[in-house]
Amino acid sequence: MKRITLILLTLCFLKSVTLANEVNVFSARHYDSDIQLYNKFTSQTGIKVNVISGNDKSLQKRIIEEGKNSKADLYITADAGTLGLFDLKGMFQNSMSPAIKSVVPANFRSKNWTGIAKRARIIYYSPERVSANDLNGMTYEALANPKWKGRIVIRQSNNIYNQSLVASLIDNNGKESTTIWVENLVKNMARDSKGNDRAQILAVAAGEADLAIANTYYYALMLSGSKGADQQEAAKKVLPFFPNQGDRGTHMNISGAGILKYAPNKDNAIKLLEFLLTKEAQQHIVNNTYEYPMIEGIEPHKIIKDMGLAFKQDTKTEVANYGKYQSIALEIMLKANWK
Amino acid sequence: MSNRINIWYLSSFLISIFVAIPIITVFSSFFQTTGDYVSVLKNTFLLDYIYNSLILLIGVLTLTFIIGVGCAYLVSFYKFPGVNFFKWALILSFAVPAYIYAYSLTAFFENYGTAFSILKNLLGEGNYNAHIPKFDGMLGAIISISFSLFGYVYVLTRASFHYQSQNLLELGKNLGFSKQKSFFKIILPSARPAIVAGLSLVAMETLSDFGSVSFFGVSTLTTGIYNAWISFDDLTFANRLSSYLLIFILGLFILENLSRKKAQYHTSSKGGFKSKSVIQLSGYKSITASLFCIVVFFLSFLFPVFQMLYWTIIFPKHLLDLNLIQLFSNTILLVFLACCVLIFLAFISNYGSRVSKSKFLDTLNTFSISGYAIPGIILAVAFITFISWLDLNMINYLGTESIKSIFIGSILGLVIIYFIRFYSLANNGIKSGYLKINYSIDESAYLLGYSKFKTFRNIHLPYLKNSVLLIGILLTIEIIKELPITLIMRPFNFETFATKAYIYASQDLLEAAAAPSLLLILIASCFILITSRYILKD
Repeated sequence: MKRITLILLTLCFLKSVTLANEVNVFSARHYDSDIQLYNKFTSQTGIKVNVISGNDKSLQKRIIEEGKNSKADLYITADAGTLGLFDLKGMFQNSMSPAIKSVVPANFRSKNWTGIAKRARIIYYSPERVSANDLNGMTYEALANPKWKGRIVIRQSNNIYNQSLVASLIDNNGKESTTIWVENLVKNMARDSKGNDRAQILAVAAGEADLAIANTYYYALMLSGSKGADQQEAAKKVLPFFPNQGDRGTHMNISGAGILKYAPNKDNAIKLLEFLLTKEAQQHIVNNTYEYPMIEGIEPHKIIKDMGLAFKQDTKTEVANYGKYQSIALEIMLKANWK
Repeated sequence: MSNRINIWYLSSFLISIFVAIPIITVFSSFFQTTGDYVSVLKNTFLLDYIYNSLILLIGVLTLTFIIGVGCAYLVSFYKFPGVNFFKWALILSFAVPAYIYAYSLTAFFENYGTAFSILKNLLGEGNYNAHIPKFDGMLGAIISISFSLFGYVYVLTRASFHYQSQNLLELGKNLGFSKQKSFFKIILPSARPAIVAGLSLVAMETLSDFGSVSFFGVSTLTTGIYNAWISFDDLTFANRLSSYLLIFILGLFILENLSRKKAQYHTSSKGGFKSKSVIQLSGYKSITASLFCIVVFFLSFLFPVFQMLYWTIIFPKHLLDLNLIQLFSNTILLVFLACCVLIFLAFISNYGSRVSKSKFLDTLNTFSISGYAIPGIILAVAFITFISWLDLNMINYLGTESIKSIFIGSILGLVIIYFIRFYSLANNGIKSGYLKINYSIDESAYLLGYSKFKTFRNIHLPYLKNSVLLIGILLTIEIIKELPITLIMRPFNFETFATKAYIYASQDLLEAAAAPSLLLILIASCFILITSRYILKD
């Protein structure tokens, strides 16, 4: 018994001995398609990609505590605010290369991290109960209008996408005005917040509410049929609406990555980042995750195209600022009794 | 006194102290300053959190008590159709983690969920969403946690009923007690240590549960801890909230100890051990008993299995994409290593406090096992913090190489935290086994010239064989299901069924999470079935 234990332990240690030509990724973004992409990268460059996936704060804590001994090279996550806050802690290093700078728009990157793909957080409505006239010139700000009393569903305040959305409103309209906005929005909610983004869209389809706020890819996921035929039908009862077209544009968030301060394989990490921003990789990402491409010249998935591509994206608000205001956002939401 | 300080005492002492490290870390937060989160929380949700935690706890304890003790009583004392099947089938609920139960519950009852599809296929188009009950929020959390945890109460209570001496029951008969009176006056009180052991495990798991409460959006103290940490970056306050949880659990222990007073629960060695006679039920009574067990078995096991199976069949691609051999070997490796370490050390610790008969060790033991109520994720972080503190000091004062990579992101580190997390499980189980061995047996052994080790090996071990098997299974199942610790501490490219299921579910790909969830349940079930033969051997 003891001998077996010993052998097993030795094996584990051997397994963790690192190879030279590799890059280590800590990822809070968990798509199987990402793994396929890493495999492509390996076959093109010979660089092995090692991955640990988990939730953001746990991964971050581990990177921080491992300090100089951390093997992590690249940190990937699905929220700009999260990247910005981690950067403020000084955990990244310069992640830019001429190739990256030339393809990624300035408001979707900072010196130490870059966006890889985009998603929009938009409004969904029931065409039976909400007319085009009702939505004329609709903005995030207007969700606080009393005419929507008891008609809106949105997920809980601890959700990072909501925190980034409210943070972007703080950035644009200030804390005071956003506080009032949140209080009124909570009054307009059809129920205490619960469930994920998809559950909000389904609630509108089922007639529990008239408006839902959710990320674009959740809707696409249902329309694709991968949630079953009934949810595909349900999604068709609901239509997407891109708000704030008359001013700054629709709220955008990113999946992004940055190279960590103590990365042992910095060069390989840059190569992987550059690879993720190639046309081939971008096409693979948008085909599988229903996100919007980060670079020019890539067609999103057909379902996403059908939702409308001619909308104005908010390129004025720096996504780097989401992180700064996220905790104020949560405080405001909690105080307003946003569950 | 000098007589008492021996190798057993010392090892028992060291083990308890080791397990207590994260608890001490958590309590040390009271001496550090916290951020703004305290005032935000106090103004808004703290009372809500405490209230919700209490409701959740009371709900789960009530439900697990009724289901667990009810089933254990029926299968131990009565004969009715299917009783031999239910004896082991009811343990299968262990194979279903609360978070997977939560996924199933939601997937089945949500708008346009499985229930909707079934109704539509049976009855044609219709607006069923409004009529399908929604088991979400607090109710969903209570149901998910209860059905996945009642097994603790069931297994421990059943074992206790099984070894309950026939003499006691005959005593009841002789006193002219009705069945009901025998149950409340004799059977229940004499199984009390086992029931309490089961319920306290349930209580601790409930309070530290994050997966299902966050899935249902119930704000408990655990959610508060998570918010303090994740959103406000205030680890100190997160630790402080955890210590409230601990104080709460310790309070429960103390209450139970006080109310138990000086009652002893050894089986008397005089008069022999008569096997129990089982009462044959007939008519509506036997149907009711069968029905009760069927409903519990269906809800606790078949329902989540069917839901996951349904998805796996509709979307077989997700199953084919899994690297089954690797997932399986990773899972088994963790189980094997952790079980060996846990059982071995729990034995030493228990034997140590038994032979030294030290009040202090008992107290320390009780204190250290309350760590079970610390959410796994907080435990892991406390460990990482501790290692980096130790590492820093070793580099500064001893000039050693960094030890971090040995403990963080390694199998060794994982096994150590599993040890801390599940120590109370191993310890409680062996302790309740030990409580049944009368001290006079030890004394007879010593009189016969047995050394302490020989007493342990030749007398305690055979007596405790069943307890050890039971603990082995419980640990195996727990480790197969364990999520937050594995998630943060695992090495690169290392996935288990649990991490795989979580990763899909967190991406709202419940249909992809179905395959690993189903496999997790099946593997855990296999372990239960293989070993149930031994546990149930009469």
